Amino acid sequence: MSEVIKVDIWSDVQCPWCYIGKRKFEAGAELFGGEVEVEYHSFELSPDTPVEYEGTPVQYLSERKGMPVGQVEQMLERVTGIAKAVGLDYDYDHVHQTNTVISHELIHFAKSKGRQLEMKERLLKAYFVNGEHVGRIPDLVAIAAELGYDEAEVTEALESHRFLADVKADVALAQEYGIQGVPFFVIDGKYGVSGAQEAEAFANVLAQVQAEREPTEKEAV
Amino acid sequence: MADALVSGTTPQPLLIVGDPQAAACEGDFCAIPEHHEQAVVNRALDSDLV
Repeated sequence: MSEVIKVDIWSDVQCPWCYIGKRKFEAGAELFGGEVEVEYHSFELSPDTPVEYEGTPVQYLSERKGMPVGQVEQMLERVTGIAKAVGLDYDYDHVHQTNTVISHELIHFAKSKGRQLEMKERLLKAYFVNGEHVGRIPDLVAIAAELGYDEAEVTEALESHRFLADVKADVALAQEYGIQGVPFFVIDGKYGVSGAQEAEAFANVLAQVQAEREPTEKEAV
Repeated sequence: MADALVSGTTPQPLLIVGDPQAAACEGDFCAIPEHHEQAVVNRALDSDLV
């Protein structure tokens, strides 16, 4: 019997390629057909962004990168088109650019309850599709409450920053791996896959891991 | 979590596989590789043919 293949994924809530890559990875895992266990890890693309950033993503990128507004708009339109191709309706007109550290704390809180994947998906949807704010504690508590969590417990966890150390540990581990961009997939603790690869690429790596395990399993019989 | 990730020890070096040009975000910038756009165009063209 094949063992479960562990996949550790570094990702940020406001990373457009992370949500697209999530869908592509999920499609790749389905193509592969074996058992896969996913764990998400925190990565902060822009830790110096204020929670209450008042501008739009277009203004943000234009200011930070010195790019003309028209060029940024075109870029986001293209990303929106690529997202659409994997079934995601990005709505950049309503995205709230913010600091994502507390949303990562919420993902770790959910992980402590055994519900990390659900929260990760919900926060990506909140940011890119629903136009919800993922930087403020009350907004994050509302999202958690919608998923059935106890509001007081979530509020306490986020206000006390109980899970901040876990977020920082993930970021530190990414540095140790030499991860510079996200999404980044560590498959079986051995293979590194960077970016929103096509589904077949993920399926191929998973199949490779499985094939490498098979001789050992036969020898054990 | 993989054992190396739990122990707090330095993880083993990774063997990087897949398309090195795949789209990713670094810092606060998320580049769009040209081949990625072409793939979307191709997919749209395929849809038109159906």
